[in-house]
Amino acid sequence: MNRNRPLAALAALAAAASLALAAPASAATITMSGSTSIAPLATQLAKAFVKQPKYKGKVKFVILQGGSDIGITDVSRGRVTLGMSSRDPKPADPGGIVFNKFARDAVCVVTNASNPIPTLSQTQIQDIFSGRIRSWSQVPGASASGPIDLVVRTAASGTQDAFQNIFMGQTLRVAGSATTKASNGLQAQTIKSDPNAIGYASFSFTKGLHDVPYQGVPCTLRNAKSGQYAGTRNFFFVSRGAATGVAKEFINFARSNPTALRIVASDWVPLH
Amino acid sequence: MNVGGIAARLPGRHGPGRSDAGPRAAGGFWTDARVERILGAVACIVLALIAGMVIFVFQKAWPSFAHSGLAWFGGGGDVDLQLEDIFSSPANPADYVYTLHAWPLLWGTFVVTAGAVLIGMAFALLAAIFIVEFAPSGINRVLEPVVRLLAAVPSVVYGLIGILVIVPFVGEHLISQERQESVANVVQLDGASLGVGVLILTVMIVPIMIAIVVDALRAVPHGWKEGAAALGANRWRVMWTISVRTARPAIVAAAVLATARALGEAIMLSMVAGSASFAPNPIDGITFLFEPTRPLASALVENVEGLSVVPFGETLFAFAAVLLVSSMFLSLAGFAAKQSMRKYGVRP
Repeated sequence: MNRNRPLAALAALAAAASLALAAPASAATITMSGSTSIAPLATQLAKAFVKQPKYKGKVKFVILQGGSDIGITDVSRGRVTLGMSSRDPKPADPGGIVFNKFARDAVCVVTNASNPIPTLSQTQIQDIFSGRIRSWSQVPGASASGPIDLVVRTAASGTQDAFQNIFMGQTLRVAGSATTKASNGLQAQTIKSDPNAIGYASFSFTKGLHDVPYQGVPCTLRNAKSGQYAGTRNFFFVSRGAATGVAKEFINFARSNPTALRIVASDWVPLH
Repeated sequence: MNVGGIAARLPGRHGPGRSDAGPRAAGGFWTDARVERILGAVACIVLALIAGMVIFVFQKAWPSFAHSGLAWFGGGGDVDLQLEDIFSSPANPADYVYTLHAWPLLWGTFVVTAGAVLIGMAFALLAAIFIVEFAPSGINRVLEPVVRLLAAVPSVVYGLIGILVIVPFVGEHLISQERQESVANVVQLDGASLGVGVLILTVMIVPIMIAIVVDALRAVPHGWKEGAAALGANRWRVMWTISVRTARPAIVAAAVLATARALGEAIMLSMVAGSASFAPNPIDGITFLFEPTRPLASALVENVEGLSVVPFGETLFAFAAVLLVSSMFLSLAGFAAKQSMRKYGVRP
């Protein structure tokens, strides 16, 4: 009997897999992959979308993560309906894809909670991150002492791209001594455990850290919505060609439906 | 249901010893000739898969090597900035940026792996001698299952312990502000470091080395050990002069296996070793241990998000190619080292 068990298990697995494949065929399926920063928002939007009377029981969502560039590749190859990108289009992106902006997001400069810096100007941020200032004693209002530890994201991160565009500009680079982290979580954990650390994060990942006001404006949702806080970036659903059918309706829903706008406004910045 | 059909016939293999064995008990569907052909085909598929993988990786990696030549393996500039430039290459294939000097990554891989394997080897050998020769059976009943259990713990668990407990501890209590300031213009010391990486990697690879060496020491013929004991050698001398010497091929095998695991370790090291592309400098004394580094495998896993950018993807494949070649050379070196020890050796 022992020998039969693996085969039986295999057969059961195959049966289950074919069932799973068969089920969504009755409803339209929207598959998404991409940015880990967008995924929480996209999940909430999808939940609200399938509750709309018009689409109840007719639409299904499969949402995967992986990072902005994964989403863009997937959609350009036709593996998913929509890619999620938290970075702007780049010249080297594959051709034939359309970036549909549907929300904005605040990017905050963050420090350890024991080092509540009152404000930083763009020049100060550039000096700190490019390595021109290397000690907290040169930063007015800092309660930390000793060298500044830069904690940033890897080149392929959408948040890194946003930080570069918003705060550093096109010519300045983050200093080579910076520690680069592969995910939002690792970066936040590193800043939490190091009193001398400074980094940046999407607003929804800043809990437990100190958000440094930028040019005197605190990094809050209210300020980002009113446009006073300048450090915002765009969230995109990327489609292969112009979006059609249910995918198009979903994008329009995310952009303008009152329910969707309420969801976006809970932790992110609506377009209007 | 084809699968069910095969499954139903399988009990025939249990042979005449079983009461349900029918007339086809000698083999049934599974005649020796047929089994030989099927297993042969499976083995060939594995070989073909490996060959295909090597060709694929090298073909993908070629543009990166071809562009930089031997300078690829050299030092110069900042690897992170070079990676960023490659990532933001222009769209036109003729303008792709490939410039990379990967020395800090290669050096980081070497130092972390060599450190962990050397320290781990000493630990594993002594622990194995204790388990085989000196430990009371009561302790052994606990010790051996625990060692085998430890060998199976996923690396990300070690990484979590490292980043939540050990890295903050090292950063707060072991690295003084003077030490941080002494190198602040070159590199930042925040606890995540070469030393922590080597420490945790050692803990990760020691159990598997202990398991292999214990098996080898147990396989030493009793007569040889008894002969030495009869000549008046004590247990330690018997272990050191007879058992350990006879088990050398197995010790080499353990080292090769552990090195392979250390070379490929990515997640844990990316969490605790600092992930800055910096080549720690032994001249810095103790500070050397606190300097961050980033091995090839970590660099690969941290940047995998950017695979879609063609030149960036090819650069990542170049990392993979270097890792592949290193592990191939490792196996060959292990094989060569064992040849000379074979005469009096026991093999695991």
